[in-house]
Amino acid sequence: MGTGEILWNGLALFLTLSIFSILYKDNPFYKIAEHLVVGVSAGYFAIILYYNSFIPKVWVPVVHESKFLYILPTILGVLMWTRFSRKWSWVSRYPIAAYMGIGMGVAIPVTMQAYILVPLYATMQPIGFTSMALFNNLLVAAGVLCALVYFFFSKEHTGAFGGVAKVGIWTLMVGFGAGFGLTVMGRVSLLIERFTFMRDYLQKLFGF
Amino acid sequence: MRREVPIVICFLAGLSFILEYFIPHQSVRPFFENFRQWAIIVMTFAYVLGISNIVRVNYHVIHRKGRDWFYKIILIVGLFFMIIMGVFFGGIGEGTVFFWMYNNAYSPLQSTMFALLAFFIASAAFRAFRVRTFQASLLAITALIVMLGRVPVGENVWKSFPDLVEWIMNVPQLAGKRAIMIGAALGAISTALKVLVGLERTYLGGE
Amino acid sequence: MSLNVVKFPVFPHLKKIIFPPRWLILFFLFLILNPVSSYAQEDLSSSWFNYHRVNMLVFLIFFFAVIVIFIERAKVGKSLFIRRIAGLDAIEEAVGRATEMGKPVLYISGIEDVDNIQTVASMIILGNVAKMVAGYETPLYVPVCMPFVVPIAEERVKEGYAAAGKPEAYNRDNVRYISSEQFAYAAGVNGIMMREKPAANLMFGSFYAESLLMAETGLATGAIQVAGTANIHQLPFFIVACDYTIIGEELFATSAYLSKEPKLLGSLKGSDLAKAIIMIILAVGALLDTLGITHFASWFYIE
Repeated sequence: MGTGEILWNGLALFLTLSIFSILYKDNPFYKIAEHLVVGVSAGYFAIILYYNSFIPKVWVPVVHESKFLYILPTILGVLMWTRFSRKWSWVSRYPIAAYMGIGMGVAIPVTMQAYILVPLYATMQPIGFTSMALFNNLLVAAGVLCALVYFFFSKEHTGAFGGVAKVGIWTLMVGFGAGFGLTVMGRVSLLIERFTFMRDYLQKLFGF
Repeated sequence: MRREVPIVICFLAGLSFILEYFIPHQSVRPFFENFRQWAIIVMTFAYVLGISNIVRVNYHVIHRKGRDWFYKIILIVGLFFMIIMGVFFGGIGEGTVFFWMYNNAYSPLQSTMFALLAFFIASAAFRAFRVRTFQASLLAITALIVMLGRVPVGENVWKSFPDLVEWIMNVPQLAGKRAIMIGAALGAISTALKVLVGLERTYLGGE
Repeated sequence: MSLNVVKFPVFPHLKKIIFPPRWLILFFLFLILNPVSSYAQEDLSSSWFNYHRVNMLVFLIFFFAVIVIFIERAKVGKSLFIRRIAGLDAIEEAVGRATEMGKPVLYISGIEDVDNIQTVASMIILGNVAKMVAGYETPLYVPVCMPFVVPIAEERVKEGYAAAGKPEAYNRDNVRYISSEQFAYAAGVNGIMMREKPAANLMFGSFYAESLLMAETGLATGAIQVAGTANIHQLPFFIVACDYTIIGEELFATSAYLSKEPKLLGSLKGSDLAKAIIMIILAVGALLDTLGITHFASWFYIE
């Protein structure tokens, strides 16, 4: 390992330990790491947008390829900067409106497809009591129905309706518990990865 | 001009992308693809607002020597260091200072923040098991079962643990997930629709 | 005795189920007969309409119509009952406690941009929170993750303060862009939590793995925490670490409720009707599938 690499990896180790130090309490090392990660990441994103968006999508098409159609989105983008002026800041609503419109327009059919039709189709399975598979299908369908009742806003959750809604929230809670339990293992492996990095660095540095 | 035009822009942009979903014709695909790129271009320019916000807010703290002003200097230096290195000192390719900063400052900071979750999830789990209500206990017990079912020791305790976990994932978990998806999608679509037709004008702000 | 005079004192809604309106019967007949599925074709690159998605078009038009009808009904003053949403009380309680203590309120709007509908809902809630906070001498911090959210959050907070008659109390520096990288954002937000010690942390929007980092830190600082998201994987963590969690659709309902405009509440009612119809479709589909009739369910299959 060369000196440059030792220094760079040393920085990585120092920052790793600084972030972990928050587990003890807020301290100057953590504050340095925290402010550095915020500043560096904001700068990182600025550069990524510059090279992956501004250069290939604005600079090259307009200046080198004379595709003047790209001036339009550029103007829309520049209109965002009217936010710097008190008098003209309302103009920034145009690009914001376009951006939101595109976002909503893309989201509506995709949401309808992926989050309504797909789960609906998947839940419409044969149900019954004669086999475990059929019974499980019945439980899934019943669980979906009860949990949907929980999300009703037009009616108070009282009486029989409230009872069904209660079963609905129980179903949701069991689901959340499963999600929680499943994630724990993934998070532990992330921690192990960081410890492996620190061990490898120290091994390389001291040769043991 | 100030309110009506943005509403019309929003509506037309939204409507065209809803229509795009139904139009497979090859001649219109490039048009929509271009339009999507436009959104990224606009976002790129909007990023300048973010950077200016960071600079303004932190400059004010540094200027009046507010709390932790020294750390705000580190933040601003980090920000401009990355920008200057990326633009003026060899770009972002392998071997550049930007690249080394990414690998040895940005990346470890990010992955260590992520790794902190292991401790946080442990404390959250500990708290979850000190159950207060029936609903919370359902969550805690299921989490415990799923955790045990996913490690070898669980199978040693009771050989059917993995099967039970599979059943939980395929039945109650699936049912809950689907119900949330359907409900949330309905709420999301109706909110999006209100934005498109101009009933919800949050993005316009005041006069 | 005509059917119309039959009384249902015990469960009046039963009447609606047994005698559904004509349009609903027609809608179901249309689905069962499935008249358009045979139009499906393979190569669509020269077609102007994707026939595989005709079902989607029907549902979108149907859903839009339901929402618009209810909004119109609300506009003409028809009273629409909407139950009190518990999340709303939780928000008011959290803000109330913070203002009583004279401590800041922290509002976290998730890590996605305004092209995400959850972020839009979050911005609606933010405006109302700003209105609640404005009357007191407590700051409202809004750390932001995405650049487009910055101007909208600024406007929402400013508008909220103006609506409460306190435009001069608005401090532009309290809406802070942090970073578009999720963990850098979490680090920045955690910094605010640990050093400014807000008494109320409100987290509404689209969250990912950073949710627990923020919620646990907030819990450690002793803040009252209310969170809401439709991101299923993050809900367990909010439930464990927050005092109150708004689940899935409740996030959108809370935003509609907070706007207090009857026409926006109308959409909630429309959404409920759509939900009821989906439930009926689900039950009918499962029963027909059990009987071996898959024709009905195939209507909901989409490529």
